[in-house]
Amino acid sequence: MKRQIPVLLAFLTGTFVVVAFFVSAPVVVGLNEKLDELLMIVTAFALPLGVVSFLQHHSKKIGRRSIGWRNSIVSVASFAVMASLGIVEPFVSAQGRAVGFNWLFDTVFTPLQATMFSLLAFMIASAAFRAFRVKNLEAAILMISAVIVMLGRVPIGKFVLPPSAALTEWIMNVPNLAAQRGILIGAALGAASMAIRIILGIERPYMGGAGE
Amino acid sequence: MSDAQQVGGIDRRWVYLLVAVGALLPVLIPMGLPILTTPAVEALFQRVESFGPQDVLMLSFDYGPSSAPELDPMADAILRHCFTRGVRVVVLALFPLGGPNMAQGSLDRVTGEFSVEEGRDFVYLGYKDGAQAVMRRMAEDISAAFPRDHRGIPLKEIPLMQEVRGYPQIGVAVSLATGILGEYWANLVNAQFGQTVAVGATAVSAPKYYTYLKAGQMIGLLGGLKGAAEYEELLASAYPELRDRARVARRGMDVQSIVHLIIIVFILLGNVFYVLSRSERTRAGGRLGPR
Repeated sequence: MKRQIPVLLAFLTGTFVVVAFFVSAPVVVGLNEKLDELLMIVTAFALPLGVVSFLQHHSKKIGRRSIGWRNSIVSVASFAVMASLGIVEPFVSAQGRAVGFNWLFDTVFTPLQATMFSLLAFMIASAAFRAFRVKNLEAAILMISAVIVMLGRVPIGKFVLPPSAALTEWIMNVPNLAAQRGILIGAALGAASMAIRIILGIERPYMGGAGE
Repeated sequence: MSDAQQVGGIDRRWVYLLVAVGALLPVLIPMGLPILTTPAVEALFQRVESFGPQDVLMLSFDYGPSSAPELDPMADAILRHCFTRGVRVVVLALFPLGGPNMAQGSLDRVTGEFSVEEGRDFVYLGYKDGAQAVMRRMAEDISAAFPRDHRGIPLKEIPLMQEVRGYPQIGVAVSLATGILGEYWANLVNAQFGQTVAVGATAVSAPKYYTYLKAGQMIGLLGGLKGAAEYEELLASAYPELRDRARVARRGMDVQSIVHLIIIVFILLGNVFYVLSRSERTRAGGRLGPR
């Protein structure tokens, strides 16, 4: 029963959602809406699960003094402060805003993320110099396309290579579109076949592993 | 080591220094390079331009601080456009890691410039987890997904939301997205409910949205800082009084221009050194002769 009930639930809900897409009977639509509400609630429960996993991982690292255990202390302390302020905010503005939480978010988290992503510009320049080598025809096509798009996407490109903007539009609308469409169709077919396997109980990732 | 190999093995700190100088100079001395607009951005601009005070635009903040430099200017420009034309806006956030802060920040920056009133001219619904389910649930009844706004006021007590029940009352839904959330708006909200959708995405994500744009599942696409700069340019051209306010992305394009040029020069230099060192190795091999 421990196996059959989850598989039966997955089969029934999966089949129902597919059928509901094509049927507009009020009973089906109403039940489908209830499933959406249930999904929102279930998704919210993923958050506490993530918190437990995060705390388990870092407390183990701290307890065993593993490599980077001091970073784990910072992670756990940051989590504790942000979560506490998010749940019980002692500083609330006249407009009802959480002052402490937002202050930490705006002055610590946002600049840290900005710093990390700003470093990409330096890394890309260095990597372009060292690794972007025209070793064969494919690499040459890639490099020429990259240079055209890089010029076509900035205002100065008009002065350096006047047709770059038009060429960029063509690259985006023809070769890029063809490749993206192929990838998307492939991924969609893969997702559909995986969904069928889950509905039929052949794959059971929700039970902690694949089926036999 | 040959001459070419020596020059090619340049210390990476010089590369970093050049990029830093290239990024800093246009900030200190703005170049004011002209911005060319593209049909994908013009389409969204023209759609909003066709709206009046009876219309409603839905703006979903589906990104966090990591994408803010590219997407914040889009949000500000679209909000300014709406408030200038009297178009009412329903704001929400579906990205957990900072979406609500991005939405609140943009509203704080822009609403102060206009005489707009929360609840009448715009409403901020706040954040809700479960993006796809929220999008589906909002189709007929937004209050089923967001029973209250971010202040805790029930939607039925908010004047704007008394007129807006679901997608049928929304003129266009714009998602400013990082990751996959923007795709959900195109392949779920548009495909399943027929809602007109436009997406503002980071430059690195923009190429994948061309499939939805060409398939007619989106009416417009703002790609990266360039897309934001184009929207600002269109806004400044149509409403000269906004020229000084809508310029963050346009100024950013000066920086991007110089940094792109530096990267291109490095790519070309790297290849010149590569070809030179390869021909030197070939010549040296020729002198040694066959073993």
